[in-house]
Amino acid sequence: MGTSLLPSEKKSLKSFLFLYIVLSIIILVLGSMLYYNFQKDLMFSNLRPKLNDYAKSVTNRLRQMHNSLGEDLYYPRFSNFKSAIYDADFDKIFSLIKNENIKFDKEIRKVGKKIHFIKVLDEYYLGTKYLVIEIDDDEKWLNEAFKNITLFGSIYLLFMGFIGYFLTRLFLKPMKNSYMLLDNFIKDTTHELNTPISAILANIETIDKTKLDEKLQKKINRIEIAARTISNLYQDLTYLLLDKKINSKIQKLNLKALIKQRVNYFNILAKSKRVSFILNLDENVYINADAKKISKLLDNLISNAIKYNRVGGKIYITLKDRYLSIKDTGVGISKENINEIFDRFKRFNKSEGGFGIGLNIVYMIAKEFNIDIDIRSKEKIGTEVILRW
Amino acid sequence: MVKVFITIVLLIAISFGNVYEKNCVKCHKNGPSLKKIYFDYLLKYSSEKRVKRAMIDFLKNPTIKNSIMPKSYIKKYGVKKKTKLSDTKLKEAIDIYWKKFTIKGKIK
Repeated sequence: MGTSLLPSEKKSLKSFLFLYIVLSIIILVLGSMLYYNFQKDLMFSNLRPKLNDYAKSVTNRLRQMHNSLGEDLYYPRFSNFKSAIYDADFDKIFSLIKNENIKFDKEIRKVGKKIHFIKVLDEYYLGTKYLVIEIDDDEKWLNEAFKNITLFGSIYLLFMGFIGYFLTRLFLKPMKNSYMLLDNFIKDTTHELNTPISAILANIETIDKTKLDEKLQKKINRIEIAARTISNLYQDLTYLLLDKKINSKIQKLNLKALIKQRVNYFNILAKSKRVSFILNLDENVYINADAKKISKLLDNLISNAIKYNRVGGKIYITLKDRYLSIKDTGVGISKENINEIFDRFKRFNKSEGGFGIGLNIVYMIAKEFNIDIDIRSKEKIGTEVILRW
Repeated sequence: MVKVFITIVLLIAISFGNVYEKNCVKCHKNGPSLKKIYFDYLLKYSSEKRVKRAMIDFLKNPTIKNSIMPKSYIKKYGVKKKTKLSDTKLKEAIDIYWKKFTIKGKIK
């Protein structure tokens, strides 16, 4: 038997995987940023001695210019770097650097493809407090850093992927186990059910009820209802057990005839609860599907409408073009529970019997034939199941 | 005749010279070089705003502590006298002084 996940479990598995992926990516981004900053700082500290030497050369020349008392004002120019001088109020005195927007808050920083180094002078030659040295950044370190980030990032993602895979398996194991247990139990009991039910039903059918007195007739009727309920349950369970093995025989089904037949089948059960059917069925409404499966779908919806109806309630069945509504006047389902309604083994009303597989079967059959299911329910008012195809 | 005319023009120019010429240059001609003092201020105070503020502070209240001159010079000649110029005139004189020696725009 298949152990596919229920929608609610799929949802929690998805949430877990989403959280896991997001966390992995956050760790990757943070790690990459830390590594990038570390590499940048390393590059800065490698450059610092060279930049200090450049600054010294400019300072020596500034001293000469200053000592000439303005007679010699030829600013030094070097091929391997550019420089600029600023006073204590950050006003430019002279600059060979194109970028006028210089920031003084850090000693060294990367500005686009350039590196700016700020040297604070002890003596303000020509009023210079801040000497700015600009050099080109060949970005070799950056390429190296990106290469490493890509390589180690991929290894990390692969590693996290494996861990995620094992965590998911761990996550699913208890669920799978509980399903296997329940499925196996159902499988074992189902086989033992068929023969006695068939015997009971066959024998009841041979009884001529007209010859019986009223009291006995009622008793026989009750036995028939009970046997049919078990028979339905048996068929549901068989369907679930073989759900992937049953091949559909698609044919054009006259739904009005089919509904009438199924209503007729459930009449005794409905009468026992004094539930009456109100049918509003259009002629010539068809669906291309498997007759047995659609019967099963209808059986489940009708039996639910009876089961969860109040005594003396009504069931409205409306059939229009590509539209079928089965509405009861029963207990209804609360808003929180409506999303989980198609989960297998889910029962909202513990007072009624059953394994909670009926609507799961409805869901599977509807999915196979592309039928949309819309459930509208109000507690203590009733439930309406609308099928559109 | 021409010589007399030139002398008159020069005399007028001197007597009508600006506040800096009249109040600063006049004495510093024979005292410490104004250019050297300008560069000393620049070396210590850096920016235009700070240099001008330091000059005004000194000129309004000259002390050994806020003088830019070397200790040996002060020992020998003492500290200059307090300025008699009004704040506006003092500011005007210093502005002219700054403009005269500023290196901004002159660096090549």
